[in-house]
Amino acid sequence: MIEGIFVEGLIYSIMALGLFFTFRILDFPDLTVDGSFPLGAVIMAVGITSGLSLFYSVLLAFSGGVLAGIATAVIHNRLKVPHLLAGILTMTMLYSINIRIMGNRANIPLLRRDTILTRAVELSGGSVSEEVVLLIFFVLVVLCIKLMMDLFFHTDMGLTFGAMGSNQQMLVAQGVNPDTYKVIGVGLSNGLVALSGAFAAQYQGFADVNMGQGIVISGLASVMIGEFLISSNRISVLTLRVILGAILYKAIMFLGRYYGYTINMTPNDLKLISGLLIIAALAFTQFKKSEKSSGIS
Amino acid sequence: MIQLKDINLVFNPGTPNENRVFQNLNLSVEKNEFVTIIGSNGAGKTTLFNLLSGRQMPTSGEIHIDGENVTHLSEFKRAEKIGRIFQDPLAGTASNMTLEDNMMICSEKGFKGLKISLNRKRRLFFREQLKHLDMGLEDRLKSNVGLLSGGQRQAVTLLMMVLSDPDLVLLDEHTAALDPRNASIVLDLTRHFMETRQLTTLMVTHNMQHAIDYGNRLLMMDSGQIVVDVRGDDKKSLTVEKLIEMFGRVRKKGFVNDKALLSAV
Repeated sequence: MIEGIFVEGLIYSIMALGLFFTFRILDFPDLTVDGSFPLGAVIMAVGITSGLSLFYSVLLAFSGGVLAGIATAVIHNRLKVPHLLAGILTMTMLYSINIRIMGNRANIPLLRRDTILTRAVELSGGSVSEEVVLLIFFVLVVLCIKLMMDLFFHTDMGLTFGAMGSNQQMLVAQGVNPDTYKVIGVGLSNGLVALSGAFAAQYQGFADVNMGQGIVISGLASVMIGEFLISSNRISVLTLRVILGAILYKAIMFLGRYYGYTINMTPNDLKLISGLLIIAALAFTQFKKSEKSSGIS
Repeated sequence: MIQLKDINLVFNPGTPNENRVFQNLNLSVEKNEFVTIIGSNGAGKTTLFNLLSGRQMPTSGEIHIDGENVTHLSEFKRAEKIGRIFQDPLAGTASNMTLEDNMMICSEKGFKGLKISLNRKRRLFFREQLKHLDMGLEDRLKSNVGLLSGGQRQAVTLLMMVLSDPDLVLLDEHTAALDPRNASIVLDLTRHFMETRQLTTLMVTHNMQHAIDYGNRLLMMDSGQIVVDVRGDDKKSLTVEKLIEMFGRVRKKGFVNDKALLSAV
């Protein structure tokens, strides 16, 4: 059971890492996520059911997410649409596209299909329980992604992304076109989100058009919970705390789902809880800020 | 080096709010000239800089920099040749990043790829360069820039701009937001860098004395026109009183209101 929380947390942390990139580093609140998460799931499911190799299915899912992100960034750049609206536009269109990809169906079951996860379990040869295998598998996957992100943010391009959220004018003065970087950044971010969706579909055993609903909020809550845990400005710590935040968020949701009945809560209340968590986090940071500014000087 | 040809700039043309900022403005600046620009608020100094840097497109006319017609080139493309420093000391650096990250971003202009260029050698180079500022910043490469004072940030911005080796430097009252001590430090650095590196520079200032002390050419602007243009020995013999008198002669109006703004002495 506890492995389940960790596995789900790790799967969603890939999405939260993508969200962290847009919301925190690019300062581009990107709502495409609600559509690109199921997009990844849907592409993966169709890939698996149509007999495409698992590797290519994952690659396609990632690329699909990148394209969705690029669409949002281009709408924002070219038509001067505010980023929130651009994201909502892409997200809404993706709903129809996802159903199209599945061949005019709303979901695809993956039970008894060969997925990356069943392969991983086979590979272990039954020496340890299935849940432990999945846990180890996802720890490795997330670690890989985290390390790649850390490395990326040490490159010249990564550093430039770092400056973009806080001072875009400075980058223009350095001969950098912020529009290009938005396309790259929002694209990569949604690629990660779609990847997360692809894994979520395999773990749950189905892909559904509605599985992305409210995912932005849960990702944002994960990012904010992470910010509670550790404060730092080192990128390796920043990515680590997003992952920890995502696991903790899943744990909180798990508690709500299994023990919520003691206070008359139903699973339908979980979205409300997510929202309240974010509001609490925002209120807390506000409070800390005002304490700081009234403290000195 | 720079040529502005018959520049016209009209905001809100054809409406009751129509505002003609420039009418047939012509200006040419030679290579290695250090031009100081003064003028009251609304004279068009900053707009002139916006035109040169590409933030503002002229209604008509042509802008040439280094022999190239840049009239329709976007701001970020022109930025590869232009170093501009703003009045706001926070504008030139990213406060959430470390000093070395900031210096790395500003090391090379243009699109940045997936190289990891920030290595030990580069850090040593940054330390060496920061020593020129004499602010003890060489030991704070890992500090967030947000922790530095406004004067330190502006000095760093100046250093990074100089290191990028621009063809043209635009200084837009870059010391106006600093306290007097820091302002004079940054101004001394400015003079040092511009003279040792022979950079073509335009510097807007509100301080007439600075405009006289620095550079080898002085422009005074009023209502979108260049009303005084002195250089060489004429400039060396200038005084604040003479400047005020020149302005009064040209515009045939009193200086009373502008005197306060230009903060003589």
